[in-house]
Amino acid sequence: MSPAHGFRGRHVVSAEDFSKDELLHLLDTAAFFEHDVGPRLAGKILATLFFEPSTRTRLSFESAMHRLGGSVIGFADEKATSRTKGESLADTIRMVEGYCDAIVIRHPMEGAARLAAETARVPVINGGDGSNQHPTQTFLDLYTIRKATGRLDGLRVGFFGDLRYSRTVHSLAKALLHFDVAMSFIGPPMLRLPQELRETLGARGRLGREVEGLDDARPLDVLYVTRIQKERFPDPADYERMKNAYRLDRAAAERFGPDLKILHPLPRVTEVATDVDDLPGALYFEQARNGVTVRKALLSLVLADADASGGGLA
Amino acid sequence: MPSPNDFRLQDGTVIDHLPVGTAARALAILGLPREGPVTVGMNVPSTRYGHKDIIRVEGLELRKSETDRLALLGTHVTVAIVKGGRIASKQRLEIPERLVGVLRCQNPTCITNHERVHTVFDRTASTPLQLRCAYCERASAEPYTFVSGS
Repeated sequence: MSPAHGFRGRHVVSAEDFSKDELLHLLDTAAFFEHDVGPRLAGKILATLFFEPSTRTRLSFESAMHRLGGSVIGFADEKATSRTKGESLADTIRMVEGYCDAIVIRHPMEGAARLAAETARVPVINGGDGSNQHPTQTFLDLYTIRKATGRLDGLRVGFFGDLRYSRTVHSLAKALLHFDVAMSFIGPPMLRLPQELRETLGARGRLGREVEGLDDARPLDVLYVTRIQKERFPDPADYERMKNAYRLDRAAAERFGPDLKILHPLPRVTEVATDVDDLPGALYFEQARNGVTVRKALLSLVLADADASGGGLA
Repeated sequence: MPSPNDFRLQDGTVIDHLPVGTAARALAILGLPREGPVTVGMNVPSTRYGHKDIIRVEGLELRKSETDRLALLGTHVTVAIVKGGRIASKQRLEIPERLVGVLRCQNPTCITNHERVHTVFDRTASTPLQLRCAYCERASAEPYTFVSGS
C-alpha cells in the first residue's frame, strides 16, 4: 500500500500517529506543491473551528484551501457560536460535519481534537489542542529544515528557550527520532524538558546535551528558538531575568557560523533580536510561509489523495 | 476472638491482598455494604506480604468495571469467588491495557473534564504503573480519582 493511501479520509490529531514513510511522503508532496498545482480541491469545503485565537494557523489553512480552489467556512471566535449557549463540542462537530468535507479545529482544552475526531465522519485536523499537540506545526518545521539543509539525517539540531512547556519543541523532538539527528537542549534548569520526554529520548539514546548557555551548544546546523512565556513564571522578576538571559542576538548567532539555520514557530517577542532577521539563516518568516505549502499538501492528501508525482483527484 | 480470616463465606467474593489502608477505599469503590454481610480485615497478618487488608462479601459478584478499579489499589490484589463454601476460582487482578470510564483525568484542562465523554487511559508501563490519558496524553499518578457512578 502506498503511503498516500494512508492519508485519504484520515484524521490528523498528533504527529506521533504518522510513520517515517508517511512523514516523508507528506514532505515530498509539499515540495511538489511549491508549484502551482491548480484547483485540486474545487468544490470542497473546509470548516475552520477556532475556539481560541490564532493568526498563522487559521490564516495559513484558509490560504491553502483557497489556493487549491476550495472554500472555507468557520469561526475565529468561540463567542460567535452556540457554545456560549452550552452546546457540547460533540454536538457542534456533528452539526458542522454536515456542512463540510473536512474540519480544522483549534481548542483550548487538551484532547479536544481527539474527541472531535472520534465524533466526526469527515477528517479532522488538529490545529492545536491546548498545550498538547499541534501536528501541522511539526510538519512544517520538518519541511523547513529539510528544504533549508537538503536533508533530515546527519543534522545537529539545538532547541533553545522554553523546553518545558513548548509543545512545538516536544513534538518536533519526537518527530526527529525518526531521523539520525543529534539533539541539544539549551535553556534554564527550571525550563528543562519534561521528565517524560527526557525518558523517551533517553531510552532511544537521543537525549543529547542539556546546556544552559548558547555557546555551549556549538556546533549546530539548526537552532530552534521558542518564546519564554511570561505566564509560566510566578515571580515577574524571574521572568525578566530569563527573558534577558535567553535571547539570541546577531553576535551570538554569528558565532555559530554562516550556515546556521534559525527557526522559530512565532510569535516572537524578544527572544530573537530583530538584527538577526537579515542573516541568511534566519528562516522563521519563510517557515511561516511554508505553513501554507505544507497545509496545501496535507489537505490534498486527506481530501483527494494527491501525491508527489502530481496525481490527484480520484 | 476469631480473626476476619476465620470468617467463612457460603456464596460470595473475597477481595484479598489489598495493601494496608486501602480497604475503606475498596468499600467505597464497590458501594459496600449493600445487602449481604461484609467483613473487613485491616492490617491483618499475611504470610506473603507481611500485612494486608481483606474484604469478604456474601452474595456479591464483581463486574469488570469494579475489578478494574480494585486492581488500581495494589499490584497483588486477588479476587476469589466462593460457591457452596468452597473457592470456585481465584485470580490476581491485572490492570487492563486500556481503562475506559474508570478514572478521572488529573489534568484540569483535559477535554474529558469538560464534556460528557468516557475517559480512556492507556497503560504505558506496568512496573511502576504508568497510565496516560488517551485524550490529553498526560500521565496520571496516584492518588487516582475514580469516575463516580459507573
